[in-house]
Amino acid sequence: MATRTEALAPSWKEGSVTSWLTTLDHKRIGLLYIVTSFVFFGAAGVMAMLMRIQLSHANAGFLTKGAYNEVVTMHGTAMVFLFVVPVLAGFGNYLVPLMIGARDMAFPRLNAASYWLFLLGGLVLLSSFLADQGGAQCGWTSYTPCSSEQFSPGHGQDLWILGIHLTGISSILGAINLIVTIHNMRAPGMTWMRIPLFTWAIEAYAVLLVLVLPTIAAAATLLLLDRQAGTAFFAPENGGPVLWQHMFWFFGHPEVYIMVLPAMGILSEVIPVFSRKPIFGYKAVAFSTIGIAFASMLVWAHHMFTIGMPTYLQAFFAATSLAVAIPTAVKIFNWLATLWRGNLIFRAPLLFALGFIGLFTMGGLSGIILAVFPVDYQAQDSYYVVAHLHYVLFGGTVFGVFAGVYYWFPKMTGRMYNERLAQVHFWLLFVGFNAAFLPQHMLGLMGMQRRIYTYTQGGLFEWYNVISSIGALLMAVAMLVFLWNAVTSWRTGRRVGPDPWQADTLEWYATSPPPPHNFDRVPYVTSARPLRDLRLRLKERQA
Amino acid sequence: MAAKLSAAVPVTLVLALAGAGSAFAAPGGLGPPDPQTPSGEAISRLYWIVFAICAVVFVLVESALIYFIVRFRRRRDTPEGVDGPQIHGNTRLEIIWTAIPAIILAAIAIFTFTQIPAVQARGVEDEEHLTIRVEAHQFYWEYRYPSGAVSVDTLYLPVDEPVQLDLTSLDVVHSWWVPSLTGKMDAFPDRVNTLRFVPETVGEFEGKCAELCGVQHAFMPTTVQVLDRTAYEEALAVAQGPLALGKATWEGVCATCHGLDGQGDVGPPIAGNPTLTTRASLHTLLLEGQDTPQFDYYMPAVGTGWPERQYDALIAYVKSSKTLSTAPAPTTTGGGG
Repeated sequence: MATRTEALAPSWKEGSVTSWLTTLDHKRIGLLYIVTSFVFFGAAGVMAMLMRIQLSHANAGFLTKGAYNEVVTMHGTAMVFLFVVPVLAGFGNYLVPLMIGARDMAFPRLNAASYWLFLLGGLVLLSSFLADQGGAQCGWTSYTPCSSEQFSPGHGQDLWILGIHLTGISSILGAINLIVTIHNMRAPGMTWMRIPLFTWAIEAYAVLLVLVLPTIAAAATLLLLDRQAGTAFFAPENGGPVLWQHMFWFFGHPEVYIMVLPAMGILSEVIPVFSRKPIFGYKAVAFSTIGIAFASMLVWAHHMFTIGMPTYLQAFFAATSLAVAIPTAVKIFNWLATLWRGNLIFRAPLLFALGFIGLFTMGGLSGIILAVFPVDYQAQDSYYVVAHLHYVLFGGTVFGVFAGVYYWFPKMTGRMYNERLAQVHFWLLFVGFNAAFLPQHMLGLMGMQRRIYTYTQGGLFEWYNVISSIGALLMAVAMLVFLWNAVTSWRTGRRVGPDPWQADTLEWYATSPPPPHNFDRVPYVTSARPLRDLRLRLKERQA
Repeated sequence: MAAKLSAAVPVTLVLALAGAGSAFAAPGGLGPPDPQTPSGEAISRLYWIVFAICAVVFVLVESALIYFIVRFRRRRDTPEGVDGPQIHGNTRLEIIWTAIPAIILAAIAIFTFTQIPAVQARGVEDEEHLTIRVEAHQFYWEYRYPSGAVSVDTLYLPVDEPVQLDLTSLDVVHSWWVPSLTGKMDAFPDRVNTLRFVPETVGEFEGKCAELCGVQHAFMPTTVQVLDRTAYEEALAVAQGPLALGKATWEGVCATCHGLDGQGDVGPPIAGNPTLTTRASLHTLLLEGQDTPQFDYYMPAVGTGWPERQYDALIAYVKSSKTLSTAPAPTTTGGGG
């Protein structure tokens, strides 16, 4: 493919700092998103390590009391708002225009604004640690009245609120941009039943963000007014504490699916390519994405089974929560069926995708146990929930994100990563993750409540904590291996052509990395696998 | 034959696991602790049955995954890019594997609903029962009995008598959780939640606060002492003695932040502080709390809702203790906090 980029090349010098600061190119913005969110991932990971050091044995004195509460709060908030949501936004930004055969996002300036707001929001959120009476201390859920002026004096909580606002505005703008792009800028012939499944997932992700982020924005605004302007929206005498929980989880539960769906989308791209088969049941996978997104808005109060809700409401939310498992199971079966009779190529993207299936199944099943609300009376607010959410968000989403990072690394950098290091990364992370989080199920049932900075029990209770901390250490080592691989491969990895994986979708039609305008010519799309069609046609012509 | 076998395996597994669950409770945290009330038993039963179903699904899915990984890995003689069979789906199969989880989940839901009366100990409502008000504070539990008795952190219950806890909070959200008795229930400042159960075993059961409630959330324990009727009355009476109530109050309320000897911890040292023994200023401090810039944490209004005699008891206990009523030699600390 000859590329004629001269006429369209940007006027500024490629690679200089200003070109990155002023860029409107969706690919550069996507990379900024991905790299920045990985930096925040590192910061939140260090916080996790601090907590696991503190909890590695009974009565430890490493990171206690208020300091622990600050770290537990910021770890959760940063992982959600500064890592998972923006890293997926980064993938969406980079890939969606390429996948649908567009030149850029619909609103490039808005796109740049979203990124810079995200960076600002992240810095504001982390600056909460510097507030003079300590950072936010009431968990990522920031329940009132704990987060009220009376019980959280100082500006730590206010900075948390502002950080949520800025990252929230960033995500809403980004989501609108993605929706408009997907709806209006698809290549000729690319009907809704031909868009890549990752794009379907990003569509669901973006719609959910637009629907639920305003709720947390409103809740955070009311909390800020309560704290700084003397209003009483969340005052106990007005039923405020329960109101906050409803508003928070009306956002917070769909947020879980916002964080999981695009990772599932990544799997639906990776598994077919590395099995050398089409996805089994494209329509079922696409519709189950929509089904999960829809149902995810009806389950929020399953986080609140112990607030003393009327039983009929608990039954309703238990039933809807169980129902979400159906489209989720469908996805897992479709992926398994895609593997069936395939010609599986065990490169890092497939390893991480298979890791996702194995671990997410565990997280999904413990979710069923938690949805059975009498059992939740025991498990709620215990380490069982911590284990469950990490199986979903780390075993699921983060493994999916790594599958995506390795899969699109050659596209984004033009170079291949080091396969051996990637496999070491996978096995260390897989073993470390299970060591860290499997024992936490048992700890929760043995009575270890969440967010405690220490415990006094010895014996098995302490042993489970020891194992968990060792697992966390392995995960940290795995991350260092990944970092080393990413940095060195980006600089000196083997150069690759446009399509090193013989993939199915249009992003592999562009050069690696793609030129600023993406494509010289976009082929007419006749199926969900335009690149494969092209390859076959080429072969026919040669024959 | 193979079909029969594959159906028999999960069924046997479910039965075996459910049986194992009821026979010995929670080896190593695989299930909730050995339940000591009928409602706790109902929760455990439900847990083990759902766990068994999930375990079977887990084994089936993971086995399929591992089998496919081994069976369909690329053979050495097959080049990397060779396509597998181009199967785009199978509508009938997909309908079946949508329907099966739906049926299993519906069964779980229906079974769950049948257990609600037992879990919530609905029967207690209609029987004659003991109602105890539980007031959660940062960072202790105050129990108030119908007789006017109070206790701090330790809840005394007569065995085999239905009990209803009316849970509320006087500051932030807390959650009362004694795993071996029954599930947890949150305590909110704006409402009263009820938790009902019938303790069936004499003994001491440890509990805690499960909802992040502030700096000492990790140290908000509670103990439930289930005693037979006469021992219960006796223990409760003993606990009302000024020194006993004062000691419990000091240990449960003050010591959590100021140390057992008042030597200071999250809060400043207070041993020997005159506020501790001056009724009027103690009263003001404990009812209003304090936020002094030189200390990292505010002092919550821990004394809200106390009967007057609890102040007397605290003062009496502090006066009776040498370490608490005399200031350590070289300190110059003044002002409460």
